[in-house]
Formats: sequence, structure tokens, C-alpha cells
Amino acid sequence: MVAGLKEILLTNKEKILSLWIDRTLSSYIASDFFKSSGDRFANPVGANIREGLTRLFEQMLDKAGPEKMLAPLDQVIRIRAVQEFSPSQAVAPILELKWVVRQVLTAGKKKRPPATELDNFDCDVDKLGLLAFDLYTECREQLYKNRIHEIKSGRSILTDSACASALADNKKTGCTGVEIS
Amino acid sequence: MAVVKVDKLARSVAEGPSLMTGSIPRKPWRNIPVVFKPGNYCYPTNPATLEYLDKQPGISFPNAREWSPEDDDWKLPENWKEIIINGLAERLGKFRSLKIFMDCCVRCGACADKCHFFLGTGDPKNMPVLRAELLRSVYRQEFTRAGKILGRLAGGREMTVGVLKEWFMYAYQCTECRRCSVFCPYGIDTAEITMMLRELLHLVGVGINWAMGPVTNSNRTGNHMGLTPQAFKGNIDFLCEDLENLTGIHIEPTYNRKGAEVLFITPSADVFAEPGLFTCMGYLLLFEAIGLDYTWSTYASEGGNFGLFTSNEMMNKLNGKMYAEAKRLGVKWILGGECGHMWRVVHQYMDTMNGPADFLEVPKSPITGTVFENAKSTKMVHISEFTADLIYNGKLKFDKSRNSHVKATFHDSCNPARAMGLLEEPRYILDHVVDNWVEMPENTIREQTFCCGSGTALNTDEIMELRMRAGLPRANAVRYVADKHAVNMLACVCAIDRATLTTLMNYWNPDVEVCGVSELVGNALVIEGEKRADLTEGLRTMVF
Repeated sequence: MVAGLKEILLTNKEKILSLWIDRTLSSYIASDFFKSSGDRFANPVGANIREGLTRLFEQMLDKAGPEKMLAPLDQVIRIRAVQEFSPSQAVAPILELKWVVRQVLTAGKKKRPPATELDNFDCDVDKLGLLAFDLYTECREQLYKNRIHEIKSGRSILTDSACASALADNKKTGCTGVEIS
Repeated sequence: MAVVKVDKLARSVAEGPSLMTGSIPRKPWRNIPVVFKPGNYCYPTNPATLEYLDKQPGISFPNAREWSPEDDDWKLPENWKEIIINGLAERLGKFRSLKIFMDCCVRCGACADKCHFFLGTGDPKNMPVLRAELLRSVYRQEFTRAGKILGRLAGGREMTVGVLKEWFMYAYQCTECRRCSVFCPYGIDTAEITMMLRELLHLVGVGINWAMGPVTNSNRTGNHMGLTPQAFKGNIDFLCEDLENLTGIHIEPTYNRKGAEVLFITPSADVFAEPGLFTCMGYLLLFEAIGLDYTWSTYASEGGNFGLFTSNEMMNKLNGKMYAEAKRLGVKWILGGECGHMWRVVHQYMDTMNGPADFLEVPKSPITGTVFENAKSTKMVHISEFTADLIYNGKLKFDKSRNSHVKATFHDSCNPARAMGLLEEPRYILDHVVDNWVEMPENTIREQTFCCGSGTALNTDEIMELRMRAGLPRANAVRYVADKHAVNMLACVCAIDRATLTTLMNYWNPDVEVCGVSELVGNALVIEGEKRADLTEGLRTMVF
């Protein structure tokens, strides 16, 4: 029996999201906490990834354009871009959706989407993967801009210059610190 | 070389094993060695800096050398283990709190998920209980009977180079913000455990440059920035010129003036770098508006005290400087600016280190007559307490519309909030100077406030990623009010916050700027004789 892919994905939305979120959060060693705590302020990583992936999946079902994908994608990628992941590990959850969907659909064999529809879906996921790559790069650039900004603000003189105190001491200026009685 | 066929690759991606390889090893925490790589550690102290400091009276920073956390060999002194164990014994004898904290934890886990480093990294060793366990396990092994006999079975662990490296990693992934302590049923102050870890590491010459640079500068010139008296005065005079252009108010502050009623001390970042400069302009306008008899000091030209992040002796010495200067100048009391950890030092340690300051008077506002009984021991009043009292007594006139470009939220800076209970005064001020400000969610403010993620000398650029993930819980709450209420300004009362939250917002919430509460006061203040231009961005407006 052949059914439309959107219908099948909608029917299995909860299962797909559950597996997708679970696998993404499993990439953290403290995954139990990230998965279990529902408070978005007490558990920002878990909550943002859960919400971001959910919104992304819904937008994909609606065939939304990249402009609508950016905000939810940002919720996921901006966090992973500063955690201890390699670049590929940081964006892997997006491509993982293909695997997740097949896992869920294989489990329920009664309704199978037409192969071409699934190919199209894969193509959408690939596009999302590329968008994630753009976003990841943008985040990393922002990190380096932050570093440059801080250095330019002059605060680096605190540490990146020769030790002025040692120099003063060497020149026998008599500046040898402060006595507090 | 094999040729990769795209269609085959695509299929393997979709149908082959999962792509999620994970990045973190899954072994018991004791068996996971720390790995230092660029981005996850702060640069070690410049040996010249350490050698200089070690020569100063009253402080000791031995074993200066070139070393790198990435090297296997940290060039530790030969008897490093003996130094560490003796150092721990000395501190257990000296600080009763440390002994109690080592013994009384029941591992209830209340602190586990309260640390911003844990929430941002998911690394269990950033759970405060486990971070403390890094020290506690060695304590058990060396100082408890059960540990000496049973070792690991009693939770003991031998002090090894690997353990020392672990200490360095995690003592510098804690900002001593004390949020975890709020939730601890026994009141264990995990910040003090971090302080002990850092002290012990300093005994073997292991420390970070971003802490020791400012400490050295403060020791020599009186401030973190190493500003000479001329540069310090020059910067403030420059701000006064700006203020005259912006408001028509001519200000001539005094420096090192004996006989002034009040000595004003603020973090040197306020006279050196944006956005602290605008906060400083706020102070200057306020003092001019009320005709305060006060002086700056080019000697006690720093409110901050990186000694708190370094060693007890260093903190003592840098704190003592403020009181020595107050005594020398013969002022009645000290007014302190918007600093974070200065207030922890003053409120919690000053009295036992350098007190009582009985050569000063109990602070009394010369404008309102209010006596600040809360400061009768330290003789030091917070600028927000002082300003709130002026407002309460109707001594200030504001035009809120001058802050109409601002939709603010308030970040409780960790130390003023948790270490001195300064919760209401900044809010009271905001109520009077801006039309629009909103609170962030309840579990992210007041005593439960989230740290900026870069305190305790971790505001150095080489660990930018670490800072961004540690600051995520704070940024996440700001994002919420920015989305919901179009908040565009994050107000705070801490100089480190002003610098680090600016960077944090650039990454997480680029539409939100950062300011000190006193900047908003300065924006809205109506002063007799002023000739204000139309300042669409308040004191930040560029006037040509």
C-alpha cells in the first residue's frame, strides 16, 4: 500500500521526533539530564535542541523555505558549535534525520512512501545539512570576531605584553610592591 | 585511492549505520584523563610575572618556569607531591570551613545540575559535587583513617600527576559564582573549594596568566590595567570632556585629595574600556549633581581584586591597599562602584583580613543623612545603595524619556547578589530611571542568577568557546526576554560582566547591548544648568 510521504511522516511525527531528539542528546555524556529536565531555563541545551529539532521537522513537513528554517536550526547549531564536537559531529544530527525516518518507517511496514518521495525528502534533509554547515561556519567566525574584538579593546595589555612589573623591578626603580601594615 | 561514488555514499548515509558517533568517552569519571587542547585551557602564567610576584613582601608564588598544559611534562618541582599534600594539610589546619566541606558532603546531588559549566558542557566533572570530589578523594586518601586503610573503597584516590592536571582543568572551569551553594542543604561553598585547588596549584607554579597579570599590575600600579597615575587621571579627565560636550556640565574631579569626605573606588575597567566608560560617566554626573565631597585615588585605583581568584594572601594584600589609602587620605568612608567580586571580598573577607576599619566612620550620606548601618564594620557603601537612598529621599530628578531607546532587563551579578544580598536596590533604581524594563525568568535571577561564564579571571580570549558554553544558561534567559519583550539592553552592576556579557551577547543575542545601572542613571539625570543635546543613545551618543 502506497501512501503520501507527508501523511506518513505526520502519522509517525512523535516517534520520529522522539528518536531524533534522543539520538542527538545521546551525543552528550550527561544525556540523561539533558533528556529528562523539561525546564528550558534549567536545561538550556536539552530544551533548545528539543524545541529546535521539533520546529525543524514541522517546517520540513510544511516545505518551508530556508528563511524559516534558520531560527530553529540556529537553536541547535549555535550550541553545538561551541561544544567539544568536531565540525562533522556538530552538524551530524541534521543528516541523521534520514536514518531516523527510515528506522521508524521500517518498523511500520504497512504504509510505504513512494521511493521518489523519499528521495525528495532526503534531498530536503541534505539542503538542511548544507544550511547547518553555513550556520556552523558563521558561528565559528563569530567566535573569532569576539576574540579579535576583545584583543582590540586593549584588554590584552593585561597579559600579552612583557611583564611591566618585572621590567620596573629590573630597572631598580624602587617599585617593589606595596607594604600593608 | 578509492573513488567515492556519490550515489553510493548518499545511500550509505541514509541506510548505513548512524552518523552520530558521539564525542565524549563513556567510562567512569576516574578513568577519563583530561586532554588539553587549544581552546579548553587558559595560558599559563608568564614566568617573569611570577618571579616578580614571588619577590614581593607577604606573598609567595614559587616555581616559576615555562610550561604548557599540552605537554606531558609540566616540569613540576621534584617534590611536587609532598608540596601539595603539605599544602593541603596546612590549609585544613588553617581554614575550618575547608575541613567541614571535605567531610560533610552527603552527595545528595542538589548542586549537580545547578552549575552553568555543567549545563553548558554536559561534562559530569563540572557538577559541583564532582569538582569537589577531585580534591575530596585526595583528602580521604591522605587525611582520613578509612581512606588510609581502604583507599579507593573508601572513596580515596592517590595524588598523581594526572589528578593534578585534572585539578588545573576543573579549577579553571569554575567561576566561583556560588550558585551551587544556594542549593546545598549543608551550605558547602564550592567556590572556596575551587579557591583551595587554585592555591594548591600555585604552590607548584601552576596558574594562569589572565589572573596573575592583573594581580601583578594591581600590586605595582594599583590597578589591573597597569594604568599609571597620569594615565588614570588622563582617562577620567577625558570622560569629563566628553560629558561637557554631551550635557554642558563642567566637572573637575579631584585625585588623591586629603580631607575629602568620601573615597570613591571602582574597577579600573570603568575608566579604561567600553562599555564601562559609560558607567563611569554616570558616576561622574551623579556626584556632580549632588555636590558630593569625594576624591578618586590613583593608588587605590582598582575595586577588583584578582587575589580572590589566586590566594588568600594576595587577596588580603590587594584589599588592604584600599583601606590603607582611605587612612592616608583621612576620608570618613569609602563609596564603591559597580564591581562584582570586590563586594564579595569586602563583605565576606575584609573584616577578618584587614578589619576592623575603625579609623573610618560609619558611612552616612552627606546628602540625605542616612546612616548605612549595614556597612558599619567595613565602612564601604555600594553605589546602588547610595543612589537608591538618594532617589528614596527625593534628591534626584530624572527624565525617563531620555532612556526611551532602552528596553532593559537586569542581570544580578553573582557576587553582589549572592555574597552581599544586593537584590532590591538596582531594581529600585531601574524603576525610577527607565520606563521599560522586565525581569528574566525566576530561576535565573536574584540568588539563582546565572553567571556570565567568564568570572574569576576566565575572561580571556583563548578559551572563547568554553566561555560561550558556560554563559549559555545566562544568554538563554536573555534570549527569552529579548524574543518576548524586545529587550535590547542587559543592565548589570559588575565590571567583569560589562566586558564579558558584551562578548556573550555578541555570540548568542547580537541585538542586546550591555550597560551598568549607573549609565542609565546618568542618561536620565536632570541637572541644574545643563545644556543637553538630543542624546538619542544617552551617554553613548556621538556628538561632533
